Amino acid sequence: MTTVTQELFKDKRMGFFLYLGVEAVMFLTLFATHLVYTPPESGAHPEEVFKAQEVIKASAALLPSSLTLLLAERGLVNRNRALVWTGLILTFLLGALFLAFELNEFYRYAAVDGYVISMNNFLASFYVLVGLHAAHVAFGLVWMVILMVRFSVSNLRDYFIEKHRIFNYYWHFIDIIWVLIILIVYLPYII
Amino acid sequence: MDVPFIGQVPTDVVMTWVLMIIVGPVFIIILTKMRKWPLIWEYMRTTHHRKIGTMYILASILFFFRGGMDALLMRTQLAVPENEFWLYQGDKYNELFTFHGTVMIFFVAMPLLIGLMNVAIPLQIGANDLAFPYMNAVSFWLFFAGAMVFNMSFFFNAAPNVGWTAYAPLSTEAHTTDINNNYYIFGLQVSGLGTILTAINMIVTIIRLRAPGMRLTRMPLFPWSTLVTSILILAAFPVLTIALTLLMFDRFYGTHFFTTEMGDPVYWQHLFWIFGHPEVYILILPAFGIFSDVISHFSKQRVYGYRSMVIALILIALLGFMVWAHHMFTVGLGAFANTFFAITTMMIAVPTGIKVFNWLFTIRHGSFRVTTPMLFALGFIPTFVMGGVTGVMLAVAAADYQYHDSYFVVAHFHYTMVGGTILGAFAGIYYWFPKMTGKILDDRLGKWHFWLFVIGFHLTFLPQHFAGLQGMPRRVFTYLPEDGVAVYNLISTVGAFLMGISMLFLLLNLYKTAKTKETASADAWYGEGRTLEWTVASPAPEHPFEKVPYVKSVDHYWFHKQGTLEMLTADNPRPSPVSVKTIQPFLLGGVLSAMSIAFIYHWLWLEIVFGLATLAFFLIRTVIDERESVYRKEGET
Repeated sequence: MTTVTQELFKDKRMGFFLYLGVEAVMFLTLFATHLVYTPPESGAHPEEVFKAQEVIKASAALLPSSLTLLLAERGLVNRNRALVWTGLILTFLLGALFLAFELNEFYRYAAVDGYVISMNNFLASFYVLVGLHAAHVAFGLVWMVILMVRFSVSNLRDYFIEKHRIFNYYWHFIDIIWVLIILIVYLPYII
Repeated sequence: MDVPFIGQVPTDVVMTWVLMIIVGPVFIIILTKMRKWPLIWEYMRTTHHRKIGTMYILASILFFFRGGMDALLMRTQLAVPENEFWLYQGDKYNELFTFHGTVMIFFVAMPLLIGLMNVAIPLQIGANDLAFPYMNAVSFWLFFAGAMVFNMSFFFNAAPNVGWTAYAPLSTEAHTTDINNNYYIFGLQVSGLGTILTAINMIVTIIRLRAPGMRLTRMPLFPWSTLVTSILILAAFPVLTIALTLLMFDRFYGTHFFTTEMGDPVYWQHLFWIFGHPEVYILILPAFGIFSDVISHFSKQRVYGYRSMVIALILIALLGFMVWAHHMFTVGLGAFANTFFAITTMMIAVPTGIKVFNWLFTIRHGSFRVTTPMLFALGFIPTFVMGGVTGVMLAVAAADYQYHDSYFVVAHFHYTMVGGTILGAFAGIYYWFPKMTGKILDDRLGKWHFWLFVIGFHLTFLPQHFAGLQGMPRRVFTYLPEDGVAVYNLISTVGAFLMGISMLFLLLNLYKTAKTKETASADAWYGEGRTLEWTVASPAPEHPFEKVPYVKSVDHYWFHKQGTLEMLTADNPRPSPVSVKTIQPFLLGGVLSAMSIAFIYHWLWLEIVFGLATLAFFLIRTVIDERESVYRKEGET
């Protein structure tokens, strides 16, 4: 990268980090909401609702995806296209798998077990918080598709690296949020 | 009144319809006759900071008249005891004060300040534009879309009616089943997103785009206050976003976050004020910045105690996050919480006091010129101090049980918001008008505007203190003769109309100035400018700093004119942001308003269609990116 694009990228990175800060405050507020209303006074308790294997399945999919994305990063540095593709596709598949597990978890809780969003505020805050996170993953998956299309079509290496970096920050951010969700939302009630 | 095919509609709404049908076409014809469409098309696609700033200011002046009209209607209803003015009793009156409050805070005060930031900040720090010009346009159109959504509510006879704070449980489905308050949620949500993006833009601009040599400690105070304010926005507005989202779930999807049976209405108050109290500092700090620059300019003095001014700004911002519960003293949070929040609130008076003394000391040493912006600054100091004093009174938790929800509170926050923010915004508009348009607003009319506005202001709000102490609650549409508040209310109403008249002088001034041929020079105010914006032409060109200055001191330009400092040009300034002409931000605003309307009326399919359309803008943006050509050019060389 030469100076002009480097400077512009630094602007963009700073702006994006600030935006992630905004997102962090939003999630923080939702975590607070969850803590305020859990455990609930009436309706289902988290111990009844949560199934440990759902959380483990989802985490097993999402947490490694941050590592596979590093493969793509390494591929970019070493100019190894195959490695970039491997990293992107693996990340995408893991993300998609996570989303499938999440949807399945929601379906199971709400439709099969009957723990609907209006039952109590623990469930309401759970669905809003974890649902917002799942929406972020879905957004990231579409983003990744665009990234892959760009990678296969465009020959602007530096430009792609920039786009890839920004996506990296996003993806690692939602992984961190997922770790917090495990620690704050699930873990106290499944062990 | 009974309208065919539609049913019962209040007469004020019908009147607006009729007015729209008449005024709309006339407006279009005039614009066509004057050949203004190319200009409008130009502004719709612009990403230039000055033009966007001008649009912010124009839009907020428009909304100022809208909110002001609500104020005059309220004051007319309250002019005499047991008044029955038009149809503004009961729920209609609730709509009035909700509309007035929300519009004035979110669609007048905020965008006025953001508009001034847009105009002045890049010029003051020696940058050629904001860091993200495209995103800046998005911010503006999101604000405008949100404001339009909110204003549509009245047009469709569904104005929000639970106060600008939308306190639960009144704002939940259980108590207000109509769609009215959905407008509140979506209007604020969309414009709030625009505000967040602006804050990001401002921070990156101020941190990364300053001219070489301009350390943070050499920056004028308006950029300083903008920086601090933007950080406050980033911390406070996401909380509002989530609060509104949760309220939306309560109203739309059957949750009970804020209802009484399962949820906690007080939790809404916490969320709202964790946003809302920083919000009032978001509104006042930029005004402080404007006054610091204006006072220093017209006193021909470096601002007294620059460092303490900056520290005071930061202290106010920090303390601003620790005081939200002073809005909730009477909720019953307990003695400890009330004591804590009372003390933190009183502590804010200290940094604010420092600032007031510094302004006074800045004036004391100088032989100052009483221009219109300076006049607004001089009017601000005593007015704001009065608002501050009542603020400390309100901070006394025990006494607040008496003041709470009375007109005393109304008087207090108008003294701070109007006496601070609005006077600041006026000072800023008069002060930087040459940078926006290349002309100076007429001084004589400006002074008429100032005197009528300030006299009207004190006539309106000073008596409200006494009405409040007599026990008159806020948000009531009438009172009895034996309540002993009739005379205060009458004076208040007279004052309100005086303020209304003063605003006509501003309009007249804008009109007259537009007509004059006289143009302003670069250093428009007597050649006594101190900061970098006065080194570039009036109006500021698209690329103002062809040669980026090298800054060695606070008020470098002033010391250059005094002959003590040279005006140097930086050798290798950083590259400027890439500007672009695009209609996308405007369209995005349109699509988001359409999506909001779909949500407000629960039209599921349109929600999906417009939701997808909104997401499609991300796709368009990634395909059409003005920076791609920059990369391409670099790849070639």
